[in-house]
Amino acid sequence: MAELSLQHLEKVYDNNVQAVFDFNLDVKDGELIVLVGPSGCGKSTTLRMVAGLEDITRGKMLLNGKDVTDAPAKDRDIAMVFQNYALYGHMTIYENMAFSLTLRKEDPNVIHKKVLAAAEVLGLTEQLNKKPAQLSGGQRQRVAMGRSIVRNPQLFLFDEPLSNLDAKLRSAARREILLLHKRLNATMLYVTHDQTEALTLADRIVCMSMGHVQQIGTPLELYDSPANLFVASFIGLPPMNFLDVKVEADKLVAKHFTLPVTGAEKKTLAPYVGKEIVLGFRPENTSVGNDFEMKVLNNENLGMNTLVHGHIGREGQGERITCKLNGWCDYKADDVVSISITKKHFFDKETTNAIRMEV
Amino acid sequence: MTQEDLMIKKDRMRYTKDSLSANLILLAIVLDALYFVAVYQTDVGSYYYNWVIGASIIYNLLFLLSAFLASEGVKNRKTGFTGMLIFIGVMQIVRIFYLPAKAHSTAVVVNGQEVLAMGDGKYIFAIVCLAVSAACCIVAAVTSYNNNKTLADYMRSLENQSA
Repeated sequence: MAELSLQHLEKVYDNNVQAVFDFNLDVKDGELIVLVGPSGCGKSTTLRMVAGLEDITRGKMLLNGKDVTDAPAKDRDIAMVFQNYALYGHMTIYENMAFSLTLRKEDPNVIHKKVLAAAEVLGLTEQLNKKPAQLSGGQRQRVAMGRSIVRNPQLFLFDEPLSNLDAKLRSAARREILLLHKRLNATMLYVTHDQTEALTLADRIVCMSMGHVQQIGTPLELYDSPANLFVASFIGLPPMNFLDVKVEADKLVAKHFTLPVTGAEKKTLAPYVGKEIVLGFRPENTSVGNDFEMKVLNNENLGMNTLVHGHIGREGQGERITCKLNGWCDYKADDVVSISITKKHFFDKETTNAIRMEV
Repeated sequence: MTQEDLMIKKDRMRYTKDSLSANLILLAIVLDALYFVAVYQTDVGSYYYNWVIGASIIYNLLFLLSAFLASEGVKNRKTGFTGMLIFIGVMQIVRIFYLPAKAHSTAVVVNGQEVLAMGDGKYIFAIVCLAVSAACCIVAAVTSYNNNKTLADYMRSLENQSA
């Protein structure tokens, strides 16, 4: 397998639109990296540059220490799985999986062994004589992966491979990709706009916005210590709540309530006394308590817990927030609930960067 | 070829098409087309304008249709097309002795000169086309039959193993 190093990668299109800015990433052997971000953030462009389908405008790409920045796609020994699977409809599954090796004029007996081995891994042995149209979306997606596996490439690239599947299949396919990654111990680069996919699959996540890398880290790092407001709002479902607060010596003053500043927070927020910052808290980091009062708009009962949507202050003027409270709650509209925040995040209002708690 | 290679070759037949047989039949179709293009181009007055040429055209159409169907059939390893292939292969041989042979032995008057309805060059070309076309059909039939039998035996052995 492979180690990949992307150094100061940039992509500028002919019409002078820059899609990727100064992208730096070192992928270790056997690592599964997920590039996540909203549509148009440059994640697919980055992947296509790695695949060799887009020219790299500036920067360097090293695969196992070898500079492949200008190498054509066919010489990079990289396999890519596309969103639409790109299977040949007139060929059987066996022929689809064998196709790339047939083009390379490999020995048919060797191709046969590789295809059967890949089909076994992916549970496709019974489907080998069928055409893609006879398979479900999940099975087609596995065929697309199988076509990559038979090539035994140094690096696997996945460009939103689960986007065409329904929620149930997507969850099953996600588990399969994870199992496959463990079984093959392959180096993989995976692009998605779905943060659930990113959090569940990745060894490390690269969060991107408008062509810039916002944060690189493990799923827990991105969830627990987001680097800035963008990452905080993008990672986590439902998204983090944000409130503008003014920092005073021993309290945080929001529009409709005040919160005491504890010891550790006091040290962290000392440079911001007298300034406005952004207070962030995740819906799941709330409980019934006494920090502020929220007027309920509506409930979403999820069984184990309840998403309570509401607003602080008068309707139309107050901030709308979401809390995830334990158990089954039967709040009615306009009920007032007292809420406590169990974990707070602070962000610089000007730079949008996180204000890190000093430990 | 080792024993293992032979086994893999047999196993491969479960998932691959019989391209050799199918392509041989397609070659037979091409040769038949060359044959009838050559024959119908002949400018020897009204020699060909009788029911024989009509029957020949209809037979050509039937040959093209049945050969194409057989090609698709053997490609997907269907044994039922073997007999049909042998039949149309033999018929291609029979045809040599009908239209080309007759035309080659018949003299016609063109522009006041007596000439053969089918000259030596065209006659040889027609014979080669029909003969090779026939050979292709028969070889395809035999190859397809052998392959299908090997596959059937192999599948039986797999079933016995699993039982």
